[in-house]
Amino acid sequence: MSWAAHDLEPYAFQRHLNLKVAFVPLLIGSYAPDLATKWFVYGIHLGPWELKASNPAQFHRGWPGFGFTHSLIFGVAIGLLIWKVFGSKLWAISFLIGHWAHALTDTGDTVGTMLLFPWTFHFHLDAWAYAGQTGRFTDAAAYFSGLGGMWDLVWIVYGFFSWRVLTSVYFDNFIYRADAFWPWANRVVPRGALIALYRAAFFYGTSRWIAWTIWAHVIHHYPYDLSWGGPHWVPAEHP
Amino acid sequence: MRLRLLKRFDVPSRSDLLVFAGYCAAAAVYIVIGVAYNDFLLSVIVGMGYLVLAVWLVPAVVRRLRR
Repeated sequence: MSWAAHDLEPYAFQRHLNLKVAFVPLLIGSYAPDLATKWFVYGIHLGPWELKASNPAQFHRGWPGFGFTHSLIFGVAIGLLIWKVFGSKLWAISFLIGHWAHALTDTGDTVGTMLLFPWTFHFHLDAWAYAGQTGRFTDAAAYFSGLGGMWDLVWIVYGFFSWRVLTSVYFDNFIYRADAFWPWANRVVPRGALIALYRAAFFYGTSRWIAWTIWAHVIHHYPYDLSWGGPHWVPAEHP
Repeated sequence: MRLRLLKRFDVPSRSDLLVFAGYCAAAAVYIVIGVAYNDFLLSVIVGMGYLVLAVWLVPAVVRRLRR
């Protein structure tokens, strides 16, 4: 799984697609595959009870499980639903692009995704270890010690390279004009706050990348292992 | 293939850099809080709320108080 790429990828698409995408559904699509499942992968405490999947990787990416949320056909289905409900082809396509980017990015780890569900084959590049089953903090430490964290860094660097996408001029000329959501929101939310909201996912992805890296390597001294499939000090899950 | 210099470099303006500095300051605070209290880093909603607070609401309130 990825920790910051899903926050950052939409800005890279935005740079190339300009008025052809709407940013809000693009971002929602990028978050969508994990929206309903991530909490149960890591588990939460509700009073004396711990709610957690008995097999987190199977639940998250497998079948039986919710792995179909990371399939291409799921993106198409939700995209069609958006088109039908909201009557916006732009929203549907933007959601689809964001969703597919997430599903493809997650093929980078050792569990991968069932891209062609209902075919349950997992496409996986094994570049970094899937360690969601170890809990949120060990997973963070592992992710930011391996190639997963480096892959996120690529998107951060590309985001800064595409800095114009983050300017208020770009927001006015492309983001605001492409999607009726922004004028609608602007009836109650001032422009300055909307620009901050537009930039928020990039800010969040970049800041948490730095924060988790400091936490893992300055505070806790987890070792870096940038070898393929690493870090190998964590037990990686496989399909 | 022959390389040639770009006619102009695409560099941010002074006002772009000032905005960027504000976001960097907000990020520094966010990172310090997040490293100390990891739960702060876990929610994108918290992150978005923090950013709107730090780079829009607080400066807007300060500007209003100064008038």
